[in-house]
Amino acid sequence: MGKYILKRLGYIVVVFLIVSLLMYSLYNLIPSDPARQELEPQRRNMKPDEYEAAYQRLRAQMGLDDPLIVRYLRWIGLWKDMDGTFNGVFQGNFGYSNLYKQNVIEVIKAPMSNTIFINIFSTILSLGITIPLGIYCAVHKGKRFDSATQVVTMLGYSIPIYIIALIFMFLFCIVWRVFPVMGTKTAGATYANNWEEFVDKLYHITLPVIVMTFGSLGGMTRYVRSAMIDALSMDYIRTARAKGLKEKVVIYSHAWRNALLPVITSILGWFLSIFSGSVIIENTFSLNGMGKLYWQGLNNLDFELVLAIQMFYSIVSLVGSLLIDISYGLVDPRVRVDK
Amino acid sequence: MKKFLAILLAAMMALTMTAAVAETAAPAEEKGTIVYGASTEIGGDFAPGAWYTNNATDKMLRDLSTDYYTVVTDQGGAYVVNNTVTDSIEGTVNEDGTKTFTIKVKEGLTYNNGDPINIYDFAWYPVFSCSKLMTDVGAKLTGYLSYVGGQDFYDGKATVVSGIRILDDYTMSVQIVADKVPYFYDEAYAQFAPFSLKYWLGEGIEVKDDGEGAYLAGDFTTESVQKALDYSRFHAGEDRVTAGPYNLIEYDVAAKQATLVINDKYAGNFEGQKPSIKKIVVLRAEDATWADAIKTGGFNFYDTITDGAQVNTAMDIIEDPSVKEALGYGFNYVQFDRAGYGFLHFSCDFGPTQFVAVRHAIAQLLDRNEFANTFCQGWGGVVNSQYGTGLWQYQMAEEWLNENLNTYPYDPDAAVQTLIDDGWVLAEDGTEYKEGVRWKEVTPEQAGTYQYNVTLDDGRILMPLKMDWSSSDGNSVSDLLAVMLANGEQTKAAGIEINQQVMTFTELLNYYYRDATQGDKYGVPTYCLFNLANNFTPAFDQSYEWTQDPDMIAQGYNVSRLYDPEIDKLSMDMVYGVESGDIDAYMEIWKAYELRWNEQLPQVPLYSNVYISMYPEWLQNYTQDTFWNFEQAILYATVAE
Repeated sequence: MGKYILKRLGYIVVVFLIVSLLMYSLYNLIPSDPARQELEPQRRNMKPDEYEAAYQRLRAQMGLDDPLIVRYLRWIGLWKDMDGTFNGVFQGNFGYSNLYKQNVIEVIKAPMSNTIFINIFSTILSLGITIPLGIYCAVHKGKRFDSATQVVTMLGYSIPIYIIALIFMFLFCIVWRVFPVMGTKTAGATYANNWEEFVDKLYHITLPVIVMTFGSLGGMTRYVRSAMIDALSMDYIRTARAKGLKEKVVIYSHAWRNALLPVITSILGWFLSIFSGSVIIENTFSLNGMGKLYWQGLNNLDFELVLAIQMFYSIVSLVGSLLIDISYGLVDPRVRVDK
Repeated sequence: MKKFLAILLAAMMALTMTAAVAETAAPAEEKGTIVYGASTEIGGDFAPGAWYTNNATDKMLRDLSTDYYTVVTDQGGAYVVNNTVTDSIEGTVNEDGTKTFTIKVKEGLTYNNGDPINIYDFAWYPVFSCSKLMTDVGAKLTGYLSYVGGQDFYDGKATVVSGIRILDDYTMSVQIVADKVPYFYDEAYAQFAPFSLKYWLGEGIEVKDDGEGAYLAGDFTTESVQKALDYSRFHAGEDRVTAGPYNLIEYDVAAKQATLVINDKYAGNFEGQKPSIKKIVVLRAEDATWADAIKTGGFNFYDTITDGAQVNTAMDIIEDPSVKEALGYGFNYVQFDRAGYGFLHFSCDFGPTQFVAVRHAIAQLLDRNEFANTFCQGWGGVVNSQYGTGLWQYQMAEEWLNENLNTYPYDPDAAVQTLIDDGWVLAEDGTEYKEGVRWKEVTPEQAGTYQYNVTLDDGRILMPLKMDWSSSDGNSVSDLLAVMLANGEQTKAAGIEINQQVMTFTELLNYYYRDATQGDKYGVPTYCLFNLANNFTPAFDQSYEWTQDPDMIAQGYNVSRLYDPEIDKLSMDMVYGVESGDIDAYMEIWKAYELRWNEQLPQVPLYSNVYISMYPEWLQNYTQDTFWNFEQAILYATVAE
């Protein structure tokens, strides 16, 4: 097992380098001049000599006149930076955000924390609802409840998340005034303690979490139901029932365990997605999360920020696929992952 | 399983019950607290001026917490001496053509923490802007190009900035290099604000003058400065040392929300005005949901609504009694003109748009009043030259402009006649024009490398009225222009073909600036038309914008490529040929400039918006204008009893 994991970790490093080179090259193919973009809003306030001096200085600082491969190696940390030191990804410097004028790592901290906070609730809620619901529907396949659930989940699956968000916002915020329209904090609120702050934050994220949960119900419910129906149709289930086992034991110990194998890929994928924000939800509810940050980075051509986010997701995906492979072995003893 | 379900149930309950548990009152509903919805997000960089960034909301937060500038702009956007801070400012023209401003500040001013303010707090910043270290820490200052001795100090050839002198504890002088004076707005050269040196650059650094010029002494190294600078730039809190009407006491990065409270040590603005609104909370208002948020008390002040549809939505909210019923307060609004306009830009050096008649004809083919009315949904109008109706120059010369400028009224027949008069009377084969696109015989110089030209067997070169138009994606102005001009029947009937090419804004700018560094194709003149928008600052300065110097054009000046010596001279004389304060001389040149611009028509102005800001009705005495922003106007506002 240890040898297998080491081998996979080696692959991860190679894939990471290839992906990073590809992504870096792609972004640098986009015809834009970060120095000009940076100075453009101030151009009218500068005289020509001032503009030219500032422009040339910025180009030099950004290393824009160097070849692409040099800039890539500098970014990854294998080429000396402008100050003569190695200061790239390998040294823990994930780049500099031109939009926020800070190191990317500083920019990402708060949105990442918000995204994880929201996604943890959403993921737990979603899985908590969809798995029992899927199992129940599979066991009661064809009954009225199952049919109704199929319709509702199909609706949830089909309606775009921004429509769901706007409908929920209209109902919960405008008509019933239960939740706030936007933000993660009551404007100007001062808290007596951390608990008050936590409750206020929870209050603000409740509606986004409900929307995210509702939007994700369809897919997983149908996936679990389908896996369970397959499992329940197997001969060993008939055998278990013939042995006189209780129905609960048949469903949860025999059927669910076997249905879990295809489902676990999705479940782990969900847990890994707690790091990635939703562009639509975060923009709609004005939440400072990773999705919104990513969107802003792209819109403002803040490529080092976007690259850092993408490389982070690449690593999460690569590590996630390793975890999924390992988990197969844990869930299903027939699967061996040591080769 | 049961345990898991129990945990799940508890989580759901916790989530759904928080609505009932959270009893924090929304300050938007608290009378006396402004909850300001910003249309751009807070970036979180609170460094002064434009040291690093130009984020509009950051600037507003900086301005609310930073004042005591020696020179400020007043309600009309004119530079005035800040008498609350400044004892005197004297400008002297020296024999070598340089100009020295001697500035004496008043005693008794303090920062928000009680520390006294003297001239050293004003003087270190211009010295810093001349230092190499300034660039090492990433700031974008260019002061060394303006002060005598600044370049030598920057290059390391001098240890002091000879043009910046500290004369006593409350007096300093700055000497401006000869090629930057006279300048109509030269009061701006004497504009300085106090910044706590200890707070911004750290302990152990001081600004000194031993008789030769000012310099920064002590541990003035990148390592020592960077840490202090990072803290002061990105930090908000009770310990933030500033001298403005408000203290920036909190910036919640996670919520992107900033809170300001009154600075009780503030001596007042240039008119001695102190704020009475106790608290201002700034947060982001999303375009898609701002109306719902303001109706439900998410915020209560929405500044500078620009889009016509949004203005109408705001008016609906203001007039809706149910909003007042639900919130306990209603809304008022203030409207003001934009100091700028949206326009159709011409490339004046190649293709058909190099001919002024074609530019005139295109203007006559577009019903600009209808365009402005449709696009601004009633909240905007049309201008006829390079000005916005919010400019003080326009307000001084409105009558003259109305009488003298050509309005290019919508008249397809006149447009056709303009084209005929200019020689656009041929068909593609050189015979007389009957239908389709008009052609004109041109000289080899006029033909250039324009892609649509044809050369006939007899050697004549013909150019068609066929033009490519670069427009950015997701742009509603472009959509309307396509309908009302490019695809309009009157345009086709006039024998003009305009091909719209939609692209990203970045790519548009590459073509606009002909930036070959981004790819060879961008360096080639390709698009005759672009649609963009502009905004003017209080200092209306168009110098170098019509230069014929190839180096400056490569830098991004004279993007129209209109090589007209007259407009170039007028634009330079307007600011560099007039002493500051000589309004009459300035206005004469300004009018001549506007007239020449109107004749040459390098752009067709399409619309100039009317903006509104909406605010809670309990806010009184709030008057905002083009150059009188929220951060200035709020000082005069009071809470209704």
